[in-house]
This record gives sequence, C-alpha cells and structure tokens, in this order.
Amino acid sequence: MGVLEHKARARLFYKYLSRVYDRVNPFIWTEEMRTDALGLLDLEPEMTVLDVGCGTGFATDGLLEHVDEVYALDQSEHQLEQAYAKFGKRAPPVTFHRGDAERLPFATDTFDVVWSSGSIEYWPNPILALREFRRVLKPGGQVLVVGPNYPDSFLARKLADSIMLFYDEYEADRMFKRAGFEEVKHAFLGPAYDPDVAITTIGRAPE
Amino acid sequence: MKESLLEILRCPLDKSELELEDAEYADDGEEVVSGTLVCTECGEEYPIEDGIPNLLPPDMREETPA
Repeated sequence: MGVLEHKARARLFYKYLSRVYDRVNPFIWTEEMRTDALGLLDLEPEMTVLDVGCGTGFATDGLLEHVDEVYALDQSEHQLEQAYAKFGKRAPPVTFHRGDAERLPFATDTFDVVWSSGSIEYWPNPILALREFRRVLKPGGQVLVVGPNYPDSFLARKLADSIMLFYDEYEADRMFKRAGFEEVKHAFLGPAYDPDVAITTIGRAPE
Repeated sequence: MKESLLEILRCPLDKSELELEDAEYADDGEEVVSGTLVCTECGEEYPIEDGIPNLLPPDMREETPA
C-alpha cells in the first residue's frame, strides 16, 4: 500500500501540489500525449462524457476539442479551483462535481465515454473504481484510463512502489477484465525522451 | 448546478435518487447556488457549495482546515 493510496493523504498532497501542478504536469503528461490518447476514442460532439479525477482540467480541455460538454469530477477542491479558473464555475461546457472515483454519484447507464487520466494511481482499489465506470457507462460505452507505466529500473520501481500504484500491461488487462470490460487494449504514451512513461487502456462496456 | 442535473445524480453510497432541499437560485433562476441533496433511500445529505454539488461520501467529506 503506497503512501498516496490513502485518500486523506492524497488530498493533502494535492492541496500543496495543485499550486505547481500545471507547471510540472507537461513534463509527464504532455499535450502531444493527450492528443494521442484522444485519438484512441471514437468521439462525436453530442456524446455525454465524464472526466473522473479532472484535477486542474488539462484533459477536460482536450476533450472539449471533440465534444460539446464534459461532466467533470474530482475529490480535491484545491485542484478544482484551477479548473474553475479555466472554464468558469457554473456555465457550460463543463459541469463540475466533487466526488469519489470508487463511489460515483451518477445513475447507471448515463455516459457514452468515461475518461480518467493521472488519477488511477491514487485509487485504493482500482477495480472498484473501474466497476463503477462500467456501471455508469451506457452499454457499449467507451472507457479510457491513463496511468503511470511500471518503471523498468530497480531504483525507480522501489520509489514508485513506495509512493503510489504503478502497473504494467498485464496488470491493466487483469483489472479491466475483472471490472467487466470488453475489447480491452493498451497503448504506451510518452514524450520522445521517455516514450513509455504512461500506459493508456481503452475498453468497452458490454452491449 | 442546474436543477436538471438531478436526472443523472445519485447517492454515491446506495445509488438512489436525490431530492433537492432548501435550494437558493442565482438571479437567472436557473442555477442552484446552494442547497442540500438528500438521498431518498438512506437520508444522507450532500451540500451544494457555491453551485458545485459535493457528492463525496461522508467519510471523505471532512477537510483539514487550511
């Protein structure tokens, strides 16, 4: 169990990190990676999209290049403050909520797409969250999750394991299938100097 | 939040429908700026804070003072 898997600590961590997050963020999760990830989905403007763990709204911004409206959820008010500053707090195209990824406050069969980037590493029980994603997706709906790929070097692994959840392709496959997803596929994303720093998994809710 | 959002919002604990109570609206009469969302099944209450519904389960809701 990594330190940040404890949600209260994750909240505290983000309270301080959110101040510099968008400055640090482009080094590990770039606009180019975001474009690559968006290219893995079939998006239509009128689709109903949920961004889980929207944070400062970096992915929300990318999603809005493809769809008219995004429903965004995060547990941290400090991260959300940054997103409010970008999109406005009340007006469309973004509808904000505070909530927990593992216990989503939405009706079953609501969304065409559930997206989550840079959030899975903080969930204590990723399979619970993924099952929730499947529940709120319409039958045949698409899921996309970007998380940190498990590092190759021994020292980086030790560090990774002590801080948060990292996983590889096999683990991702297991988690998504246990959560009931079909057509599960993985892609590796990253900047040129570290091309597989992130793992992106897509899948579909059963019809 | 718009009142129409209630169509898709559910209690995060038991996924039952929520009822809006003590709602205060913005000048346009559309936007709910404060109020309470109450679970029709378990009675748990979720606040609307400056227009944003806080649907964190009760065990995650308490914040350490800044």
